[in-house]
Amino acid sequence: MASLSPKSPEQNEKSKQYDRQLRLWGDHGQTALENGHICLINATALGTEVLKSIVLPGIGAITIVDENNVSDEDIGSNFFLETTSKGLNRGSETLRLLLELNDAVQGHSVQEPPDQILQENPDFFKSFSVVIGTSLNEKLIKDLSQYLWDLNKPFILCRSVGFLGSFRIQFREHSIIETHPENEKVDLRLDVPFTGLSDYFDSIVISTLELKDHGHIPWIVILYKAVQKWQTTNLNRWPMSRKEKNEIKDIIQQFIRSDENGVPINEENFEEAIRAVNTALLPTFLPVKVQDLIYSSAAINLTKESNPFWIMCSALRAFVEAEGKGNLPLRGVLPDMTASTEHYVKLQNIYRNQASVDAEIVYRKVQQIVSQLQCDSISETEVKLFCRHAHDLHLIIGSNIALEYQTGSPVASYIARHLEEPDVMMVHYILLRAADMFKSEHCRAPGEWEPESDIAKLKNCVSKILSDVSCSPFPKDDHIHEMCRYGGAEIHSVSAFVGGCVAHEAIKLITKQYNPVNNTFIYDGASTNSATFTF
Amino acid sequence: MVARVAGVFDEKLTEAIANSKVLVVGAGGIGCEILKNLVLTGFPNIEIIDLDTIDVSNLNRQFLFHKEHVGKSKAQVAKDSALSFNPNVNIIAHHDSVISNDYGVSYFKQFNIVMNALDNRVARNHVNRMCLAADVPLVETGTAGYAGQVELIKKGLTQCYECLPKAPQKSFPGCTIRNTPSEPIHCIVWAKHLFNQLFGEEDPDQDVSPDTADPEAAGDAGSSALSAKESETGNVERKSTRTWAAETNYEPEKLFTKLFGDDIHYLLSMENLWKKRRPPTPLVWDNLPGKDDSPAKHSGLPDQRVWSVHECAQVFAASCKALEADLKGRPSGDHLVWDKDEKSSMDFVTACANIRAHIFNIPLKSRFEIKSMAGNIIPAIATANAIVAGLAVLRAQNILKGELEACTSVYLRPKVNHRGQLFVPERTLTAPNPKCYVCAPKPEVALACNLKHLTLKELNSALKEGLNMQAPDAAVEGKGLVVLSSEPGETDHNNDKTLEEIGLNDGCALLVDDFLQNYEVRVRLQQEDEEKSWRLVTELDTPMPAPKEDKPANGANGSNDPKPGPSRPKDDSDSDMEIIEEDEGVETVKPPKRRRVEMSDEIVELC
Repeated sequence: MASLSPKSPEQNEKSKQYDRQLRLWGDHGQTALENGHICLINATALGTEVLKSIVLPGIGAITIVDENNVSDEDIGSNFFLETTSKGLNRGSETLRLLLELNDAVQGHSVQEPPDQILQENPDFFKSFSVVIGTSLNEKLIKDLSQYLWDLNKPFILCRSVGFLGSFRIQFREHSIIETHPENEKVDLRLDVPFTGLSDYFDSIVISTLELKDHGHIPWIVILYKAVQKWQTTNLNRWPMSRKEKNEIKDIIQQFIRSDENGVPINEENFEEAIRAVNTALLPTFLPVKVQDLIYSSAAINLTKESNPFWIMCSALRAFVEAEGKGNLPLRGVLPDMTASTEHYVKLQNIYRNQASVDAEIVYRKVQQIVSQLQCDSISETEVKLFCRHAHDLHLIIGSNIALEYQTGSPVASYIARHLEEPDVMMVHYILLRAADMFKSEHCRAPGEWEPESDIAKLKNCVSKILSDVSCSPFPKDDHIHEMCRYGGAEIHSVSAFVGGCVAHEAIKLITKQYNPVNNTFIYDGASTNSATFTF
Repeated sequence: MVARVAGVFDEKLTEAIANSKVLVVGAGGIGCEILKNLVLTGFPNIEIIDLDTIDVSNLNRQFLFHKEHVGKSKAQVAKDSALSFNPNVNIIAHHDSVISNDYGVSYFKQFNIVMNALDNRVARNHVNRMCLAADVPLVETGTAGYAGQVELIKKGLTQCYECLPKAPQKSFPGCTIRNTPSEPIHCIVWAKHLFNQLFGEEDPDQDVSPDTADPEAAGDAGSSALSAKESETGNVERKSTRTWAAETNYEPEKLFTKLFGDDIHYLLSMENLWKKRRPPTPLVWDNLPGKDDSPAKHSGLPDQRVWSVHECAQVFAASCKALEADLKGRPSGDHLVWDKDEKSSMDFVTACANIRAHIFNIPLKSRFEIKSMAGNIIPAIATANAIVAGLAVLRAQNILKGELEACTSVYLRPKVNHRGQLFVPERTLTAPNPKCYVCAPKPEVALACNLKHLTLKELNSALKEGLNMQAPDAAVEGKGLVVLSSEPGETDHNNDKTLEEIGLNDGCALLVDDFLQNYEVRVRLQQEDEEKSWRLVTELDTPMPAPKEDKPANGANGSNDPKPGPSRPKDDSDSDMEIIEEDEGVETVKPPKRRRVEMSDEIVELC
């Protein structure tokens, strides 16, 4: 025993620190996050709260673009500013304090005005994974969103004014491989067993097993055998109806052994088989959603610029048409069940091996495409992950923020419809936009200096927006008064809340896991109501 | 410092905030966020309480703590960090458990609002009762991964935290754990029990040796095997595991041989157990599977690789030594407390669970997976905590303005639902359940048990575990006879008497009260011959006001709801395995049909 060296596979510090989130998005999600770079325009309380919740889980880098100096109001609403920060650049001050949260995160601060960057050095934005903007005026919103749309960079526009908050996510398209569905369906191929699986099934004869082995065969085998038996009297059909499934249950019941007194022995694996009849006998099929994806033009007409998702969809289509015989690659995951380790591991390996054979084929097809197109390579790990989740692939087509400003666009009539309902959350949206417009025209927030005289000016902005979407003016001015009363001030809890939401969605975008909000969220802290809209 | 906000808030709110006093219970992920929000909203008087210290795994979300704070008091560091940004606030920090005589009803009464940012059901139940007793509005919060929720609890106006049944915490029969494990979780529970037997607080209910009283083994050769065994091994069965281990100096090889060799041989001698089960295979220290394997290649985190049995044995040896050294370094009589984030504790449980799993032909798991199951870890991220804490403080503002009606429960969903909602609110406040055994005007509950067998000591733990009381007093209704007293020693002489012997029979009622919680409940006794232990029979599932949400109201599933208790829930039809054990700081995440969809905790940190 002298050779015994305590060599427990020690966790490294990083996996300890991130333990609670690794359990949510896995180490590949964490890697994606660590390769991410967020650009924030304006380190307001809202902007800083967003970064706080992205720095903590370990984003790779943040860049803050902010030309403003710290005011008393900033210090009052932003946790990441100190009294000594007054008069200094707001971006670099918040950056300094934010980086104290996590020394693994890189930070940069840029003090140029964003519109100037957009004019003189637009390439600046190319290196980011997501751009987040807050407290922007209408002109900048239009220019920046159009530029980022053309650049194909995700953009999140967010606002926090008084009790109102909002965010709007813009991307051209967002593909999600890991959607984390609540109920992931099992993929067992009992109706179309592959060679390895049918060989294994054939090697087991339930009736000749010793009792102690009998209680340890996986329910999958039991179910398969029951169907086989049923098929001998049913023209080799597959049991579909409720009645037929009940017949399967009866057959399984007959498999259960009895003790010397004729009392059936309680064997868990057989009970599991009976419970699984309704779900596990669903025939294998190609989900319509996935079919649409692999036959969409983006997956068929590939170019050098096609993103990896479409290249993999294309390879997947080739697999389905050839080796897959109409089906997707095997998922290769076996649910937990009562079984001896031997049986379980053997069965697990059979499924795993076939899954990796299938994924290998898809990977080879991906490689072929990549070399034909001469585009960036795609790793085997990526392809494996893609195949493992091929059943649940999801694509969201985004829309350009500029459409919201276009008269006569479908978005305009969508807005009008909600205003006529009347949907008070859409009214808040109009007010937030009117405040942006006010800022463009008057270089300050409505009510910031003179609440009374600003009311008429803000009302003008509201009327302009309403006429753009062909709606009549609001019957009452109370929302306009309220907006002017806010004077552009941020309420910390509203910013903290919206900031959490924006970071939440940004992480979904960067890790490409879970479905993000598509695409607009409005919040009213006074009534604590919220709504989402798809513009 | 909150210059502009003063203009946004109306005068009433500004004044109410200026005169308010708020208690924040818990300084974890949500607690840190709430504290920050309160400070920046201008709340002048805040108290924060948390018994926990800071761990590395907190740093991914608890932003008031940095690496240099690891090991320090959460409440204290949270206060210091918050004050460094705004020194004008009066914050009092308590590094303490909220379940204590120091925080009685009069303590709670001094606050306008109590905000719960807790991670376990026991403390939540307790604060719920304290707030009901003190009649203070309670804002209850929780998150689990991408999901979360905020709700208001106000006596007489809303449901209380205990108005609806919670999913029972799953427990496993002792003989499954000790004799016939069939799933990884059985081995993990056993390994945690073993930890406590060797290093932790000894609990007779956590025996890890073969259970000769297993009904399945009855009339077995086991008893004869026992005598044979005794002569061979020098009567080791008679000693407590701790004593024996101490005598052998925690020598890993000897421990291994007893636990994974001798004890398994003994189990094998109980032949009835193995008639229709695959028998276990005892292990020999010198010859373990995986000994000659070259180090396995593994992509991903090292923690996610499954160790070979040989590696497990090495880790077992190393962790035993480390834990023994830790134990020896403490004052006599002190013990270790199992902690999933403590390296040796977690190594030990991983190694033991896997070695035992191998013996019983059960699949082995990685340390990463076992940590999830043993620690009952709920994923926790910064963003969900920020969202929930933001909502909670906005709710606090509503409460101070007297707008209680606006404070309906809100649920954060992992994704937008079919109605386009990321946040699903209840339309109105949910009225209290008149049958609630906590907040009803005259709370009542039935206790099903076998009066011939249940002892007073067991009754005491039923009241503590089942009804979450801290120090129950019980008297017979109508007679005034005190059967249980919270005064130490006063009723101890009756401890081993059965309820029948004390003169209690079917239908009898006890008036049980807890002084600290200011809570009294009438407990009806219900004789059930089959009940091996006890079970609470509540009427919580009787028809409730119609649900306001448009979800189908098919939640009512029978009238008798099994509450957490040692007896196994009868209705075990749901195949979702829950990884639960009787453990402080453990919360089941199990969506009930209608409300409290994510009734989980921020994280399970307290255990």
